[in-house]
Amino acid sequence: MNMQQSTLRSQAKRPAGGKSDRGRLLQEASMLAPAVVLLTLFLIVPFILSFWTAMTNQPLVPRPTPLRFIWFTNFVRIFRDDLFWTALWNVSRFTFWILPVQCGLAFATALLLHQKMPFRNLLRGMFFLPAITSMVVVCVIWGTLFQYPTGPFNQVLGFVSGGYIQPIDWLGDPEWAMFSIVLLSAWQAYGFQMIVYLAGLQGIPDELYDAARIDGANALQRFWHVTMPGLRPTHVFVLLITTIQAFKLYTQVAILTQGGPKSSTETVVHYMVRAGFEEQKMGYASAVSVILFVIVLIIALVQRQLLRRFDV
Amino acid sequence: MSDIALSVSRPNEKPVRSAAGTLRTIQTVCIFIVALVIVSPLFLLAVASLKDDRFEILADMGSFRAFWVSNPTLNNFNEVGHFSGELAFGRYLFNSLVILVTTVCAGVIVNSMAGFVLAWGSVKGRAAILSVVIALYVIPQESIIMPLVVMVSRAGMTDTFAVQIVPWIASPLYIFLFYQFFAQLPKELLEAAQMDGASIFRIYRSIFLPLSLPAVATVSILMGIETWNQYLWPILVTQTDYARPIAVAIATFFGQDSIYWDRAMAASVLMMIPILGLYLAFQRWFVSSFVGSAVKG
Repeated sequence: MNMQQSTLRSQAKRPAGGKSDRGRLLQEASMLAPAVVLLTLFLIVPFILSFWTAMTNQPLVPRPTPLRFIWFTNFVRIFRDDLFWTALWNVSRFTFWILPVQCGLAFATALLLHQKMPFRNLLRGMFFLPAITSMVVVCVIWGTLFQYPTGPFNQVLGFVSGGYIQPIDWLGDPEWAMFSIVLLSAWQAYGFQMIVYLAGLQGIPDELYDAARIDGANALQRFWHVTMPGLRPTHVFVLLITTIQAFKLYTQVAILTQGGPKSSTETVVHYMVRAGFEEQKMGYASAVSVILFVIVLIIALVQRQLLRRFDV
Repeated sequence: MSDIALSVSRPNEKPVRSAAGTLRTIQTVCIFIVALVIVSPLFLLAVASLKDDRFEILADMGSFRAFWVSNPTLNNFNEVGHFSGELAFGRYLFNSLVILVTTVCAGVIVNSMAGFVLAWGSVKGRAAILSVVIALYVIPQESIIMPLVVMVSRAGMTDTFAVQIVPWIASPLYIFLFYQFFAQLPKELLEAAQMDGASIFRIYRSIFLPLSLPAVATVSILMGIETWNQYLWPILVTQTDYARPIAVAIATFFGQDSIYWDRAMAASVLMMIPILGLYLAFQRWFVSSFVGSAVKG
């Protein structure tokens, strides 16, 4: 968010250079070197390669047939594939659901935990526990919660509705599968956004609340006119981080539904991995990864623009 | 204005303190109940792992028996805790721990050194490197993974520990977190040490790094969770038990016709323990420092 600002801050603080000797520069360079080499080898090079590979017919394992440069053929094929559009539509649906559920949960819990109260750190720790739980473990637990027809969720729904609601095949019904994935994903990941919200709440000066109190604002008015405007950058940050996460949806789908039933949980990353490893079409899969990068980049640019507008 | 506010509002609040105290107690109890609901799936996991029969686990799930185990047994853990053979979860856990410890230790060292030089070094082009690092943060792991798999398999690195560790040590996010933390520390620290003739590495090692424990804690927890939960990368680069991490091994339970929930639960508990330990060890610093740095990042 304030990356540029903090860059400038440190530049202002920096001691006047000039008398630094070669030994010091050498030492600094060797402290920087591991990170620079690793980032270059494992981030920059594969990133550049992905654009090149996307325009070839490269297979997963080397074959005797020569590697051909085929320009944008892979992209054309992807855009002509209905399954890709289904995947894109599914992640959009997922995003549409996860934003209110996950961010709402994070915001609500952060508001609860921001107040002064006994055992606050213990409670914060408890609310963060799902976030340290591995997605694979989450799938094991929620796999039993979603059991059809006698799992806990179905039992509770049946009990609350007096038997009116029929048991739902959470993960097996194309109508419900993506929503079920939303529920478990929100539970697993809201903790991080909760902490970001806690930070945002801590950043609002107490004086603003005191001033509002003097002016006779009640709790609801203070929330609406002090808390909410103060959290505007936080909201933007949380919403866009969640959106980016949502577009990368993979693990829970790969484990629980493999994109099914009837492609109702097929996602962009799952589609990419299948193209690359089941069909062994590396070039094609790389083209999908380039598309994914462009999507994430657009979201990040939107975020930057919005934040610039809100930055004080 | 705020001083007036304080002096005016304080006397008014005193008489209602006891009522407010009761309210606060009720509130705390309510929040505890919400917290219990939130963590109840984890409690269910722990309870179910102590039940011997996978059909019993499923049958109990629909009722309150899910929260209780009448005759707890460690049989499931004995079944999956082997170091070789079909259910070698002891081995997978060990693999994951090796990967976790190496990645986090190397990550803290590499990223903090880079962050320190970017904040206080005098090397030319620091600002340029910093902006490149920030720009790289946008690239998601998922979109470089395809060429990366081709690269490491051409280099013959598949099915090793190194392939799961080395690519993820350096990270734009953690370099930036360290950079940001170091840049906030006072310049006098650096100048005083330079007067005494300390080398830049010495200054980093004995002055700045010891002061950055909150940043180390935050990076360790974030990196630890990230490493521990890696799933896509290890399924692409591991084929045998040799370096297979526990996350991949647990996921194979889902490939079977009838899922062995008892074993899956026990293996999941095994997987929870180390990361829970790491979290508890660093939690004290984590929440406060993450709260301090999250939004700025």
